[in-house]
Amino acid sequence: MSNTVIIKGNKHGITVVLNGDDSFADLKNSVREKFRQSAAFFGKADMALAFEGRFLSEDQQIQLMEIIQEETEMNILCIVDLDKDRDALFEAAVKTQTELQEEMPGTTTAHNNNAGGTSEGLFYKGTLRSGQVLESETSVIVLGDVNPGGRIISAGNVIVLGSLRGNVFAGANGDEHAFVVALEMNPMQIKIADVIARSSDSAPKKKSKNKGVMPKISFVEDGNIYIEELTSDILEDIRI
Amino acid sequence: MSEVIVVTSGKGGVGKTTTTANIGTGLAKLGKKVVMIDTDTGLRNLDVVLGLENRIVYNLVDVVEGNCRIKQALITDKRCPKLYLLPTAQTRDKSAVTPEQMIKLLDELKSDPEGFDYIILDCPAGIEQGFQNAIAGADRALVITTPEVSAIRDADRIVGLLDAHGLKDHEDLIVNRIRMDMVNRGEMMSIEDVNDILQLNVIGAVPDDENIVVATNKGQPLVGDDSLAGQAYMNICHRIIGEEVPFLDLNGKGGFFKKLSALFKGGK
Repeated sequence: MSNTVIIKGNKHGITVVLNGDDSFADLKNSVREKFRQSAAFFGKADMALAFEGRFLSEDQQIQLMEIIQEETEMNILCIVDLDKDRDALFEAAVKTQTELQEEMPGTTTAHNNNAGGTSEGLFYKGTLRSGQVLESETSVIVLGDVNPGGRIISAGNVIVLGSLRGNVFAGANGDEHAFVVALEMNPMQIKIADVIARSSDSAPKKKSKNKGVMPKISFVEDGNIYIEELTSDILEDIRI
Repeated sequence: MSEVIVVTSGKGGVGKTTTTANIGTGLAKLGKKVVMIDTDTGLRNLDVVLGLENRIVYNLVDVVEGNCRIKQALITDKRCPKLYLLPTAQTRDKSAVTPEQMIKLLDELKSDPEGFDYIILDCPAGIEQGFQNAIAGADRALVITTPEVSAIRDADRIVGLLDAHGLKDHEDLIVNRIRMDMVNRGEMMSIEDVNDILQLNVIGAVPDDENIVVATNKGQPLVGDDSLAGQAYMNICHRIIGEEVPFLDLNGKGGFFKKLSALFKGGK
């Protein structure tokens, strides 16, 4: 899969990141392909659209927007013009936020609504059984097991307070910082953003000695999915 | 008021029909009035396992289509006068009956003045129309699985569908065809391993027993005899009517008399 087009999203809009210096015609095809693949995920929604990573004329932006509207059922309300200093602005905003939180050590709630998908969560109580799918534009917390054949798709993070034996897709809008935590991590497949990992083919010799099981986290680093024990060091590195 | 129990599994060949025949017969032996309904239209077997094939005149499809009254289609068992079978049609398919018709039929059976204690539905394999028909009017489900990943996967899918149908917490699990020698060697999943995934109330475990094959071919359910499977099925019947019976030791053949006496104590 080519990574020249990456779709990042939150609840109210999507940012299309355009990498490489392909010709505009190639780029149009890449965008078309990418949105065709993910049309089902976006569904029917009113969205704001932004482009990043490459300069586009107004005409080019409109062409791309038309492609997206052809391929998906989304309703693009407006194209947001991203300021070149956006990164700097964002960084400043995050800093202020962090400082605010440091000033008030008692508050643990996330105030940053811009984070949208990942900072909000959907709770699901019960076992997600074979054939059942849980989809959310926010993070997902499962109070129970995810059985083989069960599936979670979340734009944010996924936390399973039980045994994860099914399929999970975190950061479904392309967020590589999304992570998956499970008390027992035995998934069939984990997908985070565009990276997929699957369980090994060797027979899972997990003799039920439940006491020795550690909670684990999986995350993306350098384009690979890693699964590690959930330690305080790792938690330090998590970005929400 | 009669309780409607559906016997289901998702996967085929795990023992739904055998279980239905044995549990139906077992409950009747415990003095309950029982009717078993075969909902596997087009692939009916329950009549064969019960040895009642030659008595079928009318069937389930005839009843829902109004060609006969329920009483005319009910076959009385040749051994237990309190046991009845409502067979289904062999020459039709699952679309011959709808869930609404099943509910109407069950309501009619429930309002029978003489009253049945239990109505047991033998569900076809799969999750299509036949399954939908069978679970439509059920109060309770017995989910059958064998200790194999394929059967467990399908049972898990079925439990999800039963939950969605409003039967959550009315599902019991029967682990069928367990072979303790293989479990002890670590070559087969134990009941605990199976239920680690399904997480249901285990109402019974039935050992893999060659007597079952003999009994099926003879058309005589072995529930209640002194074979291990026969005892296991009888124990399940006791638990269905709400008695507490300790689990059989499926391990060996020793201590039969002890087990039998425990069984009789449970039956009082």
